[in-house]
Amino acid sequence: MATENPLHQFTIERLIPIHIGKIDASFTNSALMMCVAVVLITAFILLTTRRAALVPGRWQSVTEMLYEFVANMVDNNGGAGARTFFPFVFSLFMFILFGNLLGMIPYTFTFTSHIIVTFALAMLVFMGVTIIGLARHGFRFLSLFVPHGVPKVLLLLLVPIELLSYFIRPFTLSIRLFANMMAGHTMLAIFAGFVTALGLFGVLPLAVDTALVLLELLVAVLQAYVFAILTCLYLADALHLH
Amino acid sequence: MDERDGQDPLRDLGQRLDRARRAREHNAPSSRGGAGIPQGALGLALRIGIELVVAVIVGLGLGWLFDYELGTRPWGVIVFFFLGVAAGMVNVWRAVVGMGSAIGYRRQQPPPAAPQQKGTDWDDED
Repeated sequence: MATENPLHQFTIERLIPIHIGKIDASFTNSALMMCVAVVLITAFILLTTRRAALVPGRWQSVTEMLYEFVANMVDNNGGAGARTFFPFVFSLFMFILFGNLLGMIPYTFTFTSHIIVTFALAMLVFMGVTIIGLARHGFRFLSLFVPHGVPKVLLLLLVPIELLSYFIRPFTLSIRLFANMMAGHTMLAIFAGFVTALGLFGVLPLAVDTALVLLELLVAVLQAYVFAILTCLYLADALHLH
Repeated sequence: MDERDGQDPLRDLGQRLDRARRAREHNAPSSRGGAGIPQGALGLALRIGIELVVAVIVGLGLGWLFDYELGTRPWGVIVFFFLGVAAGMVNVWRAVVGMGSAIGYRRQQPPPAAPQQKGTDWDDED
């Protein structure tokens, strides 16, 4: 009992089994946490801006800071015209941020620690950006893969590299978030296991765990930030084709 | 704007809106890639850490798939492995040097600013 499996926390449980044909569309603990995150985000923003004043109160200024933080990120990294996509980036940022932070509450489930969730989010960004690029520039979008001012012979080598480094994007985007969240939570569970196993000396791993919780809080915010900022950078590529 | 208190407040608002808009368009993508922004340093470190590893793995995976489909073992894996390494290095290099994760070797030029419409001046009475 003292050494509970540190990976147990990532188990998916079917809360309400739903089977449509052969597809298992059960309502799981992961789906529950996503719904909780969406409801909390909506409630938070609606409640804090309900009685919006010109001079913001404490809660209103939290929401305004979040808004301005993402707005500046979109402007600085996406370039001109990226403001159109602000709602998408803001939703994405808030969803990942709340998912990461809700996971820090004991006995909850961290849906961002599952690769399929982060990969779905990353593919959403990747396909969206590619479609935007193609829609804006047509076939000229493909010039993104042809390096400028390079001898023709080298193009044979460079174009495949460019193509590969483009198609790697959804993988790096999703694996970064998933690996960080999963590694962090596993580490927390392992050290927590030591606390009970070591008896009196358990104070030491307890201290480590306390520090790790702080680190994990930092990682939770930072990873949401990294995900959002990379979305902006990819958007900038599709919008401006340099 | 205290010294211009006697002016039409709407005109003052128009001028300030114009200024804010212009500022937004000008400083648009100045700090790309995170090289210049200190608070982005940690973000940058976390960003590039995984880039190289994933590139190699994806390269190997694609190579394996290529071989599996076409029966060209082991050439696909060999070629795509090196392509993956190269792509990973290129990505890391770009993230660090501050060209953003831009594909293509062209230097970052200021992206075409949104067409300046002349009609956005509120204060066109003089």
